[in-house]
Amino acid sequence: MPDEKFSIGTAEGREKLFIALYKSVFPSVAKYVAKMGGAFDEAKDVFQDALVIYYEKVVAGSDNIRTNEKAYIFGIARHLWLKNFSLHNPNVARSDFDIEIEEEPQISDNKLLSFLQTAGKKCMDLLRSFYYDEHPLNEIAERFGFSGVRSATVQKYKCLEKVRETVKEKSLTYADFVD
Amino acid sequence: MRTSLIETQQIEAHLLQHSDTGEALVFEAKMLLDPELNEKAMWQQKTYQIVKLYGRDQLRQEIETVHQKLFTHDQHKNFRQKIMSLFSKK
Repeated sequence: MPDEKFSIGTAEGREKLFIALYKSVFPSVAKYVAKMGGAFDEAKDVFQDALVIYYEKVVAGSDNIRTNEKAYIFGIARHLWLKNFSLHNPNVARSDFDIEIEEEPQISDNKLLSFLQTAGKKCMDLLRSFYYDEHPLNEIAERFGFSGVRSATVQKYKCLEKVRETVKEKSLTYADFVD
Repeated sequence: MRTSLIETQQIEAHLLQHSDTGEALVFEAKMLLDPELNEKAMWQQKTYQIVKLYGRDQLRQEIETVHQKLFTHDQHKNFRQKIMSLFSKK
């Protein structure tokens, strides 16, 4: 288990964190899944979902989970495997872990996302930092090259407006085909 | 900030519940009187959902990149062999 706490504010920091977690936790998850008769891809699937849930918990301020991250991530992965892949336990109790991961996007959302990934990447990356990663304002300003917190905030609202318009326009267009 | 940005900021405060009770009441009254504002708030809510999905998508890609590194690069050969041996016994 890594003693060092990597900063998750940069892509490099997250990469180091995920490599460390892969090395410290994935072997236990793989061992468990193999013992239960599961496949490598199943272990990979549930482990990666567990990392996403873990990351979102850390961002949400559940700092205490970083003191026992190995047990936490293993617990989520085991739960997800039993729920999704086990033939013997079809009625695994629902838990907190399910709620977040089950917010699967609609087909129209996926089309919208792929449009925004190409046409609006700069704004989407900025908005991701604000709302998904919840990075501190001063770090966002520095990372995206703004003169200060204020201009980063103004740009955030400009992006929000721009993306809101795209979401509206595209949702209405895609709705014609999907619904 | 230009007027429309201030409005966007107010919608955000309302949706993310950053405004105090008085501000929230004023804003709700404004929304009742202004269907256009109401509509903007609806799309802004949807935008936050899309940003969350985008963030999660990007994070998954970062994790997959780490996975590919660990399972293809020579420097992680021991780790890879240790994992794969667990699944080869079947």
